[in-house]
Amino acid sequence: MLTEYLVVSALLIAIGATGVMIRRNFMIVLMSLEIMINGAGLFLITMSYYLGNVSGQVMFIFVAAVAASETAVGLAIAVMMYKRKKSVDVNDFSILRK
Amino acid sequence: MEGIMFYIISAITVGGALGVLLSKNPYRAAMWMIFSFFGIAGLFVMLHAQFNAMLQIIVYAGAIAVMIMLVMMIMDRRTIETLKRFNSQFYWPALIGLALFADLAFLAYKFKIDTSNAGKNLAINGSNTQMIGEVLFKHYLLPFEVTAIILLVALIGAVVLTKKDIS
Repeated sequence: MLTEYLVVSALLIAIGATGVMIRRNFMIVLMSLEIMINGAGLFLITMSYYLGNVSGQVMFIFVAAVAASETAVGLAIAVMMYKRKKSVDVNDFSILRK
Repeated sequence: MEGIMFYIISAITVGGALGVLLSKNPYRAAMWMIFSFFGIAGLFVMLHAQFNAMLQIIVYAGAIAVMIMLVMMIMDRRTIETLKRFNSQFYWPALIGLALFADLAFLAYKFKIDTSNAGKNLAINGSNTQMIGEVLFKHYLLPFEVTAIILLVALIGAVVLTKKDIS
């Protein structure tokens, strides 16, 4: 069963990475980031079960806290860009460079 | 029995993730994301991580999904629904994603560990929450405090980014 869990985790990470790279809507980019973080969390919990060590589950709590803060900051950037450009297209975000 | 349950739940999880990847409407994508999070919570229950399954539902399907939905509600519906689905030249990143999956799946098939301890040491007196509390507050107290500071910094950062300029 270990291999199947790892393959599901790999699928989540790959789908999330693809979503971050190919989608145009910044909201969906943020959602794909959450999917990626969840894939990593699934890996931690799987290892915690198969090694018989509860530390992986404790680390998932930290991962969840970091994911929540990352989403808050990302949404703040999205709101700021929406106020200035009335758009959430990632191609319009290149003005952040200037 | 457990194998059948695993395949059903992982189909829910991966299907939700594919829904986020492929749906044009961001509100529907958020619903698919919640679907996927519930699937992951089911996988956590199968891995004897009951506390983390509840944390997954409360933090991800509760807090983060609601935060993203609220931000989408203050925006104009037409500006975020009428965007094109993919970037131009989406095929190279899709190929990179496929290669990433092939790499990780190859590693998963080559991965061998000693699984003689599988399912042990995950609960005290049948309680997973108690075990996590023991380990968290005995061995991971400093990272726990640092996490509190990270949350505070993210809060201040979000407020500073979105406040009106006072000039």
